[in-house]
Amino acid sequence: MQVIENLKIKEKLYTEKLENGMTVMIIPKKDTQKKYVIWGTHYGSNDSKFVIPGNKEAIEVPKGVAHFLEHKMFEQENGKNSLDVLTALGVEANAYTTNDHTAYLFECTDKFYEALDELMDYVQHPYFTDENVEKEKGIIGQEIMMYDDYPEWKVYLNTLEAMYHEHPVKLDITGTIETISHIDKEVLYNCYNTFYNPSNMVLVVCGDFEPEEILKEIESRLLDKKSEGEIKRIYPTESEEIVQSAINQNMEVSMPLFTIGIKDKPADEKEKVKKHIAIEILLNLILGRSSELYKELYNEGVIFAQPSLEYEFTSDYAHILITGQATNPEELFDKFKNKISEIMQNGINEDDFNRIKKMIYGGYVKEYNDVAEIARMFLSDSFKGINSFDYIEEIGSVNVEYGKQVLDIVFNDYKMVLSTVKK
Amino acid sequence: MKYKKQEIRKGINIHIINTDRFKTNLVAIFLTTPITREEVTYDAVISSVLRRGSKNMQTQEQISKELENMYGAAFDCGIDKTGDNHILRFYLESINDKYLPQNDEKMLKSSCEKLLEIVFNPLTEGQVFKKEYVEQEKENVKRMIEGKIDNKARYAMDRCIEEMYKGKPYGLYKYGYIEDLNNINEQNLYEHYQNLIDSCKIDIFISGPVDENEEQKIQKDIEENENIKELKEREANYIKTAIVDKEVEQEKIITDSMEVTQGKLVLGLDVQLKTEEEKYITSVYNGILGGSATSKLFQEVREKASLAYTASSSFIRHKGNIMINCGIEIKNYEKALDIIRKQLEDMKSGNFTEEDLENSKKGIISVIKGIEDEQDTEITYYFGQELSGDKMEIKKYIETIQKVTKQNVIDIANKISINTIYFLKD
Repeated sequence: MQVIENLKIKEKLYTEKLENGMTVMIIPKKDTQKKYVIWGTHYGSNDSKFVIPGNKEAIEVPKGVAHFLEHKMFEQENGKNSLDVLTALGVEANAYTTNDHTAYLFECTDKFYEALDELMDYVQHPYFTDENVEKEKGIIGQEIMMYDDYPEWKVYLNTLEAMYHEHPVKLDITGTIETISHIDKEVLYNCYNTFYNPSNMVLVVCGDFEPEEILKEIESRLLDKKSEGEIKRIYPTESEEIVQSAINQNMEVSMPLFTIGIKDKPADEKEKVKKHIAIEILLNLILGRSSELYKELYNEGVIFAQPSLEYEFTSDYAHILITGQATNPEELFDKFKNKISEIMQNGINEDDFNRIKKMIYGGYVKEYNDVAEIARMFLSDSFKGINSFDYIEEIGSVNVEYGKQVLDIVFNDYKMVLSTVKK
Repeated sequence: MKYKKQEIRKGINIHIINTDRFKTNLVAIFLTTPITREEVTYDAVISSVLRRGSKNMQTQEQISKELENMYGAAFDCGIDKTGDNHILRFYLESINDKYLPQNDEKMLKSSCEKLLEIVFNPLTEGQVFKKEYVEQEKENVKRMIEGKIDNKARYAMDRCIEEMYKGKPYGLYKYGYIEDLNNINEQNLYEHYQNLIDSCKIDIFISGPVDENEEQKIQKDIEENENIKELKEREANYIKTAIVDKEVEQEKIITDSMEVTQGKLVLGLDVQLKTEEEKYITSVYNGILGGSATSKLFQEVREKASLAYTASSSFIRHKGNIMINCGIEIKNYEKALDIIRKQLEDMKSGNFTEEDLENSKKGIISVIKGIEDEQDTEITYYFGQELSGDKMEIKKYIETIQKVTKQNVIDIANKISINTIYFLKD
């Protein structure tokens, strides 16, 4: 096993690539009661067109299959539902689907190995029938309708709609009631067999474990399955241009919601962590709690709380999202753009930059408080080809000059969109 | 983990939780006062005004810069209803010195000072709050009140509680009422603040790796803090969250209309509690009814009838209520309601298995065991006990849950009745 130690935060990562291609990561946490395990496949809602290893032709499946599969994985041939079995053991089990991965997890204080039996068993044993697939359409239909009532979700999806022409990131992870109506058990088995191969999966555990021991336990629960080779994923070529700079939807909300999106492109391998850190610092410089702009907007009664500042990316897309509520989103958007050109012209204040950098460092340290947060972070970063420790290691090298470079390249007017939800 | 409580002056307590599990120190101050129709809005505005500036950190910008320099120490404040109390909560979370690039920055000490300064030494102009801050924060609170409608599921829940406790303290909305805001100004708000500070129950929590040596030091630092010295002794004015008898009420049905795609069905149940022990039994009951994925509601409403994505229940311990909530298609209202009623009847007649009982207990015990792994949860746990006066170590808590029998649960089920059925539809 490879051991990576981080001396700053005093944590170790043990990692092993098994013969079947699966990666196991172990982050021991002495003396904690909670144990957390998460098993993910590098397969998300964006992967609807791909070539099955060994085949020549690409196939295209309905939108929403990854999420549908996630729901259906719990159902077992013996009539049991694994979610029930896990819950009955007293563990907190769940699953989720994102744009680039699907994950199955549980957190517990007792009965870890019994629960691990169940988790690893159900993820390796799909059981789809015409009947159980039909039934799930009703439940997922309700889930889709539930999201329809969330203005936060609408303002987010519309932002993507305004930024992306073709890329599937703009589609709802769940699919729509129409697209899921085309899903059947053959589609599910096809996607399962392609993407739930160990070579496409990563398992992370965090808690009070002996690394060697837990690794053996995991290996002993794996079925004998070989890597089938690389899965070719086909994404449409996405233009660098945005689709439209503004989009609005009317819903019953007390105050307008907004998201400013800035379309970016993925950084190259070596730079992605550094760039991510720089963007976090820049966003806080521009619109963080101590910024001029935040003070101005707050005093004018345009905003009442700090908007959330995020950088989302995979190896295939990247964008900034600034989300919040404002009495006048258009005014905020104009001032935001003006502030950026002001900083571009006058340069970045070095004191401010370094102060925010300290804050960001503290934020990274805090992420190591909770077993669930740690394991989820290592899993999702790993699908981006990142070791989470790199954020702590690389932040020192992010200086004001580099920040200025990133600002000039990324924060361009013509790549920005404003999405709003208003009454 | 070690927990220690010390009264430093009448009505003012320091609680120190010595724990090694986190990278952070968490300091919390809770101000507890009875929630009343007259004062609820004032409390909400005070909570907002305090974070705007203190005598030594006069603007939000200045506070933010200081905190950013402390490696992003995070200030947070909130307002809550617990039993018949209004609780103003203030938190400051900072990185523990061990994990900083330089190891000489007394983070915990400065966190305590900063938080005490924000809560007890607000910026004043001519003996009253700064007018500009009060006016802006009134507007801010107004937005929060109006924002009630944004989260439909939350809104349905709040509305149901409001109907169940019409004209009673617990039915009040924690952010207050828009019509009260007009009467609030920098002067009467400041008077209100002074009254609050003089009379409320004050609890200061410190969680972090504080060994005995440091414990004494930090306690001394707090006792000698200028802002603490100013505070008077008090007969703390708050409502112990003890058990009160409930009248059995006629079932009410309330329906509201709003622009929603999915209907939100909420049922508020009354539990006729007589003893503290029955609260533990009720949480086991709740686990079987709607506390998890194996629960009756989840199984029957979601999995079998495919009527909902969410179907669950939660127990409001301090008030003796269980709240059931489901997101359903509007046309399925009757169907869902029938299934829910059937579950309540099944609970009464003991139509659940030993396995259901065990599952519920396991779920609860797992949550209890995890309390010490979350810094804010651990503080909330001890604060809850502080309010109810029902002190229970985690070990004892687990034993109490383990002892609950099927008959106990059936007996509780027969003391539970529907108070209000609330439906939010289009």
